[in-house]
Amino acid sequence: MSRYMVDKFMRFVELSDERVAEYAADPAAYVERWLGEAGGPDGATDDRVLTDAERAAFAARDVEALYVLGAHPYLLWHFTEAVHAHEFTPQSGWRELVERYRAAVAPHGVVDYIP
Amino acid sequence: MAQLVMAAATPHNPLLWRAMRDPMPDDLAGVAANFARFRQSFADHDVDVVVVIGTDHLRQFSYDHSPAFVVGKAESYHGTWENEVRTFGMEYVELEGHRELADEITGRRVQPETIDLSVSLEWRLDHSFVIPLQYVRPELDVPVVPIHTNASMPPVPSVRRFVALGEHVRSAVESWRSDARVALLTSGHMANDVGGPRTFAGSPDPEFDREAAAWMRDGDLDGAIAGCGDFDRMLDAGCMTYQYLNAVAALAAMGGRPADFADVTESRFASSPFFLWETRR
Repeated sequence: MSRYMVDKFMRFVELSDERVAEYAADPAAYVERWLGEAGGPDGATDDRVLTDAERAAFAARDVEALYVLGAHPYLLWHFTEAVHAHEFTPQSGWRELVERYRAAVAPHGVVDYIP
Repeated sequence: MAQLVMAAATPHNPLLWRAMRDPMPDDLAGVAANFARFRQSFADHDVDVVVVIGTDHLRQFSYDHSPAFVVGKAESYHGTWENEVRTFGMEYVELEGHRELADEITGRRVQPETIDLSVSLEWRLDHSFVIPLQYVRPELDVPVVPIHTNASMPPVPSVRRFVALGEHVRSAVESWRSDARVALLTSGHMANDVGGPRTFAGSPDPEFDREAAAWMRDGDLDGAIAGCGDFDRMLDAGCMTYQYLNAVAALAAMGGRPADFADVTESRFASSPFFLWETRR
């Protein structure tokens, strides 16, 4: 489990309109590309490592799994909001996403999100 | 010497930026009225420079580098992040800094003995700083000294360190050889659980809100220290509730005296803190 990397990925995506759009278009491919662009021992520090469970959760936009894995709650909500906003319709918008988010995380109560 | 002429604690909920517009929704009228009151007070106090204590939301400072307290020493600041434009409809802003007061607060060569402060000379301010300034001083024409407090990324500073920060800001202002009139503006939350299991479902902990409002209304700094000293209790009140401690820093800066105005305002989002200490009324 690498909560820090989960938080790093969410923050990286959410900070940029372009990255939000790229991730939302193909989450699984975006995650693999992000991991492949990691720094290394001879470059600037930019380590990028996710466990199989974390990678799968991001590939599936699985909020519940990410919450249980210890994603920072504040980042997780705003990441979720960012990567679903393009799906909003007059019938199902922000409020409905909030309800789905809460239903996904509430059964797990307060989790340890400290990296 | 300079004077600390007023202090205020406000919400910084960025969802207000789109929602709190005319025609004013009924549930936001109280929040709008309180911001109007604070805006008038700020104008009445003829403020020359404003110290803004807020909590960056993992924008400028994240877990690759998470200092307890950061004082801005830049000549100027960009405000608002790309995601805040996208998500909240906020506007990019430019703010003038105040190097001289920042140096008074951090020490130019050696830090103060009472608290350890990081410094930043390149910092894009997020909604924790921009939103309160836009509502309290929409002209954005008063130089700022921003201070980030880590209230979102455990390990967080203890409540006593927030008290030390507030007391140090007052001390630094009052020892500054200047005739400047300084305001302290802090922003944060009452009980708040954005991202947690009680996201946007009203106040996640009304009992905490009642106690926390009373600490400000009654000038009960010891009560605030006792009540905020248990991190598990704070986390039970919501994953972002610790940002309430920015108001505790304001209470400490004002010597622990009761706020002249104290209101916790309900709205569709959560409960919002409005605490005000004045020297002119």
